Amino acid sequence: MKLSTQMVVVLTSVGLLSGSFLATVGHLTKERIALNKQRETEKAIIQVVPGIVSSQKLYEERDLSVYGGKDAEGNIVGFAIQASGIGFQDKITLMLGTNTSLKKINRLAILDQKETPGLGAKIANSEFFLLYWENRDSSGTITLHKPAVSSPEELLPTEVNTITGATISSEAVLNIVNTSLEQVRKIIKEGKLTGEAQDVN
Amino acid sequence: MSTKSIGQEFTKGLWDENPVFRQLLGLCPTLAVTNAVINGLAMGMATSFVLIFSSLVVSSIKKFIPSQVRIASYVVIIATFVTVADRFLAAFFPPISKSLGPYVPLIVVNCIILGRQEAFSSKNTVGRSLIDALGMSSGFVLAMLLLSAIREILGMGTFLGYQVMGPWFEPWIIMLLPPGAFITLGILLALALQIERKAKSWK
Repeated sequence: MKLSTQMVVVLTSVGLLSGSFLATVGHLTKERIALNKQRETEKAIIQVVPGIVSSQKLYEERDLSVYGGKDAEGNIVGFAIQASGIGFQDKITLMLGTNTSLKKINRLAILDQKETPGLGAKIANSEFFLLYWENRDSSGTITLHKPAVSSPEELLPTEVNTITGATISSEAVLNIVNTSLEQVRKIIKEGKLTGEAQDVN
Repeated sequence: MSTKSIGQEFTKGLWDENPVFRQLLGLCPTLAVTNAVINGLAMGMATSFVLIFSSLVVSSIKKFIPSQVRIASYVVIIATFVTVADRFLAAFFPPISKSLGPYVPLIVVNCIILGRQEAFSSKNTVGRSLIDALGMSSGFVLAMLLLSAIREILGMGTFLGYQVMGPWFEPWIIMLLPPGAFITLGILLALALQIERKAKSWK
């Protein structure tokens, strides 16, 4: 065989073989990867909206999804807002649990973040950060308490704690929360949220 | 063709030609993901998987590959196994896949793997290539474990997530950041050189 032909034949067959191999692997793992993602979302929704048994997607756009958390009778008792925004290093994705009037935050969970390990990555840590997000008053804008405090009692209901050494990451989370709450309020006002839980309590 | 005994073929990867400490190859993942033992270990295993299977494939088809297109072929073969590793981690170990982030796909450009194909698998039998890949992988995993253990213990006071340091211990945050990786690697390299020198003078 001529050298040039051999080169073409070898590269083509290597490419074809690995392509078909990868297609098989991709096909075999696709469902599981999608399932993992779905499970993770469901787990986060149940975590941030306490006392619910199921959830339903009510709205979706780029970087913002709203889920309704339902109790045993099927009434929507709270919203879980999944939102993303820019952190210190990369995109942060979080899940925010609110009541149906959006005036109270039940809990916050971080789904995805690539902040500095040991510093900004503490935003995903309950003891350092997420604990201070429980039961916040979100009727207005939430603010950051600086410098950091060591117990949630030291904060006003509209304040959340800062992580020492990671102010930018703490601020990033706060911004995502405030922006997404604003967006969801607008969505509700415009009546774009499907489902019947739009009566404000 | 290599003339070493089978045993030597394996053990050279652990010390004499350790990819990290002696050849200084694959330093990007070594520096980037060794901030926690679980990450270091997962990266070591993923790299080993890619290295072992690429070596097997390359050494078995080496006769058919014209030397002009060998690098391109090796890279395609390596990239195939890297993608398999990436999908596998995402499907079965989602938390690890998440914490390693873009570093799993980046195994493609890890010089240890391409280096072993070029320097060893393309010239040796399938059996020897397998032993060589196993040795190099073990050397790499050991290096990753050592580095990540030092960084996690000093940086967080934990090992594999378990608290090992007492409450008196103030974590050295810098060990988790890029400078900590460079400092630790530098000290370990100096130690490795020193040990090598001592060992030579005894001979």
